Amino acid sequence: MPRRLTRRRRLLPQPLTFSPFARSVASIQRVSSKAHISKIRRGSPPDCKGIGVSKHNSSLSESSEDEGFEGVVQTDFVFFDPKSDDFHGVKILLQTYLDDKQWDLNGFVDLILAQATVGTLVKIEGDDDDTPFSVISALNLGRYKDHKCIVELKEFLLQICQEKDLINGLRSILGEQAHDVGLLVSQRVVNLPPQLLPPLYGALFDEVSWATEDEPTEELRNSFRFKFYLLVSKIYKLKNANQKRNAHQKKRPNSHNDEEIIYIKPEDEIFHKLSLWSFTFPMRTQQVETQELKNYSLTGFALVVEAEKISTFRQQLESSIDES
Amino acid sequence: MATRLMFENSCEIGVFSKLTNAYCLVAIGGSESFYSAFETDLGGIIPVVKTSIGGTRIIGRLCAGNKNGLLLPHTTTDQELQHLRNSLPDQVVVQRVDEKLSALGNCIACNDHVALTHTDLDRETEELIADVLGVEVFRQTIAGNILVGSYCTFSNRGGLVHPHTSIEDLDELSTLLQVPLVAGTVNRGSEVVAAGLTVNDWVAYCGTDTTATELSVIESVFKLREAQPSAIVDEMRRSLIDTYV
Repeated sequence: MPRRLTRRRRLLPQPLTFSPFARSVASIQRVSSKAHISKIRRGSPPDCKGIGVSKHNSSLSESSEDEGFEGVVQTDFVFFDPKSDDFHGVKILLQTYLDDKQWDLNGFVDLILAQATVGTLVKIEGDDDDTPFSVISALNLGRYKDHKCIVELKEFLLQICQEKDLINGLRSILGEQAHDVGLLVSQRVVNLPPQLLPPLYGALFDEVSWATEDEPTEELRNSFRFKFYLLVSKIYKLKNANQKRNAHQKKRPNSHNDEEIIYIKPEDEIFHKLSLWSFTFPMRTQQVETQELKNYSLTGFALVVEAEKISTFRQQLESSIDES
Repeated sequence: MATRLMFENSCEIGVFSKLTNAYCLVAIGGSESFYSAFETDLGGIIPVVKTSIGGTRIIGRLCAGNKNGLLLPHTTTDQELQHLRNSLPDQVVVQRVDEKLSALGNCIACNDHVALTHTDLDRETEELIADVLGVEVFRQTIAGNILVGSYCTFSNRGGLVHPHTSIEDLDELSTLLQVPLVAGTVNRGSEVVAAGLTVNDWVAYCGTDTTATELSVIESVFKLREAQPSAIVDEMRRSLIDTYV
């Protein structure tokens, strides 16, 4: 007689998602955008860096755990050093880093996770899943120049750059000047609260400057004295620039002047303004089709910013997050 | 024979394909090398059908099937349903299921004789599974996860389950399913074993990230090393024919 097991009923109403990761993302989405940072906490796990940011809506006094689709969820974000267990989470975040090119993504993720001194992962406190919601790191292009992933990354950028006057600059950044260049890798889930960005970037740049003093060998210390940062990211660019001119003539009620570029990550806008030079390249990965973005296409975007401009960047980032 | 594959930079082969003993479904939009890997091994033996389900490419996670039938979610369009009915062999019953839990591939794990399902599946769906797929249905969890279709995958010869499954659970499941089971990972430590690989009685496909150890575990539990379609015939021949004149 075949055995039948008893049904186990789920007692708590869960949002309509099927993985714990998706559930966490769905619950974060409900955090009010007007939430402010209420306290900074030192975390307890031994490998945790000890910066925790807790956010809640000041009008709601109790925290609600997955309470239907209203209400605000209190979450504590904790910053961690990269470690090799985070491989799968970081790989998912970096899946479309170089568009749909088949490259040594595993090697790239391994490089990021091996560099424990510079680099941060953002996770949720007490999450059983331990999935990273954001990853940030700076890799010296010269130090890792022999790794397959860096070689493929350089090839990709040189091949995809369509602006002839920039190609020589790019070639020198990736070639002779590589040991002074840090590849700034910053990727996160789309709805991560922006209040986390100043401490996150602050942590990265602070670690870079600490590494120039704390690293055991002279060579390693020098490898963190970056003169330039290279950034590869994505933006939304207006599909047809001519549409803007037609909009002026017609004066349709809903035609607020569409901005030419929409930055997915707010810090990209600041980097773009401070950059030495930048270029865009078309992307082939499918983008999510939404009503607001129907005139825009997902475009890749690479820029180089001088290391001296970083303090300006940090100030501008703080002020722009404070006012939004 | 286990082969390593990649679908458009993703190692989750079980998401973009569905392999059974009677047919193979693959997602559209992949590269030619992806299809040729299936065609080489399965070419003349079973039909390899390119399809989408509900306009998406995650067909492996949306449908559930075995050699007797194929269950599709309610999001499947009529054209897709017709295309599948036309392309699959006549003995395979293709049925669209009206079930709130529409990712049938995540909720149902089955071979040709037994099926494990999500604990919250409708009674009607359970009966439909027993009917269309010709299997005995058991509501189960795997290492505390209700998505049995994601965390375990089994063929008629063996099965692979979530790495954190306890020994008692393994024994219980093994008696239920009547196949040897092993708790392991795929794609360099990924616990979602059914999304990372797709398997039938003689061939398996997994992502390129799968380590050699994982691959050897897969080949041994699913008994793929000696398994070629001709091997089965040879064995039969040896038992049926006494002497050659």
